Amino acid sequence: MARAGSFVEADNAEAIITRIEHKSRKIESLLKQYKPVEALKTALEGTYAMTGDERCKSAHWIAVHRALMAIKDVDGMLSSLDPEYYDILMKYLYRGLATGDRPTCDQCLRIHEKLTEKAGLGCILRFLTDTVNTV
Amino acid sequence: MAVTAVHQLAQCITCHAWSADRSMVALCPNNSEVHIYRLVEDKWEKMHVLQKHDQLISGIDWSARSNKIVTASHDRNSYVWNLEGSEWVPTLVILRLNRAALCVQWSPKENKFAVGSGAKTVCICYYEQENNWWVSKLIRKRHDSSVTSVSWHPDNILVASTSTDGKCRIFSTFIKGVDAKDPKKESRFGELIVQLDLSPSWTFGVKWSPSGNTLAYVGHNSVIYFVDDVGPSPLAQNVVFRDLPLRDVLFVSEKMVIGVGYDCIPMVFAADERGIWSFIRYLGERKAVSSGSRYGSQFSEAFGKFYGQAKQGVSNDASETSRTRGVVHENCINSIIPLSRQGTQIRRFSTSGLDGKLVMWDLETEQDLLELLVH
Repeated sequence: MARAGSFVEADNAEAIITRIEHKSRKIESLLKQYKPVEALKTALEGTYAMTGDERCKSAHWIAVHRALMAIKDVDGMLSSLDPEYYDILMKYLYRGLATGDRPTCDQCLRIHEKLTEKAGLGCILRFLTDTVNTV
Repeated sequence: MAVTAVHQLAQCITCHAWSADRSMVALCPNNSEVHIYRLVEDKWEKMHVLQKHDQLISGIDWSARSNKIVTASHDRNSYVWNLEGSEWVPTLVILRLNRAALCVQWSPKENKFAVGSGAKTVCICYYEQENNWWVSKLIRKRHDSSVTSVSWHPDNILVASTSTDGKCRIFSTFIKGVDAKDPKKESRFGELIVQLDLSPSWTFGVKWSPSGNTLAYVGHNSVIYFVDDVGPSPLAQNVVFRDLPLRDVLFVSEKMVIGVGYDCIPMVFAADERGIWSFIRYLGERKAVSSGSRYGSQFSEAFGKFYGQAKQGVSNDASETSRTRGVVHENCINSIIPLSRQGTQIRRFSTSGLDGKLVMWDLETEQDLLELLVH
């Protein structure tokens, strides 16, 4: 269970990008079926196994961003989200807040408030101190 | 309530240590002195003031059998104090450090002590009879950053250290002439036995369980790490918790750990029959508080500004929060010291913090925790 051993050595960047594209298509189809919560879960799953260089991270962010913006019911989404995804969601929220783009920031701030209530300050701290697994 | 007494002994307490019979406490009130207080009929009387260090004293330890106090300070020195008559007489220990000493602990047999420092080293000091002085041997290798805490294994040879580079390391401190040679364990002084790289952030507060089989330490990322079967193939567990990070931990039994830190309330962690550790509850409140009233007024205001709306009843929140949470410490708790042992279990312990309070806790009143302790 030690974090250090849990993420698989990244394949080359191309393979990762392909996997992310595959995930994006899945997310699109879920969004078309009005299942934004499922879409977000798909987007957040397996993130650590797909870390790579900046290109991979950007591709991943685009997929997560798409799913995040489609969420309307934040409380419902958080109650059905597995607690193990809280930390990774917090990291993406801060990435969203860093973009400075108004609609993204509004959405991220809204989710941040509810997520902090649910996951506590520890979640924010884990984002701040984790310089190894950045998104 | 688990709290048996709250004493305001200074404006801010950096560290504290108890005498063997628990009648006297030595503490550093955030300056370069050690104040020794004795409890005389319900009032604390300042018995001695030990002045020798030039800078903040970062660690104090009082040995139980030999009745010596060792202090380590930011002035890169350490003194061993002996009680001669009614005076405490210091003996300088030349640590050979070029940075502050950050933590100190007597070994279980009290013939050695370990000092962690900002010079990325751990000093192991032992007494040389012929020259009547304390000699320091440095473990120089492997630390990449300041050593924040040290802890001795019950076998008096292994020392675990945590550092701001995020790693916990276990070294052998076998010294010829001081330690008895163990044919089973071949170890040289300063040999790195295990390096645990579990945390991406600063680590603090490492402690061994009473048997020496389990190790616990905390990371600044609000995670507490438990390592069983420390050796070539350790079993590590991270327990993630919701609140602010911890600073120090204490094993009250083989299967229960109390953690203290920035949240000002001790947290109880326990392992179940399968050996899986998890957070049980806080000490000092019976039921979980709803998240709305969790934060004090400072947080509410900050969150209010962040989310762009005023949080209602900010002043009401603050007083209600203290009452409902039963908060005893008002600021970060930075050390937890055992008070009494029953076999390998600790029922009573004390905590001190940046608010200058020394609080005594007793687990006898916490029925549910006692059951977990005993199993």
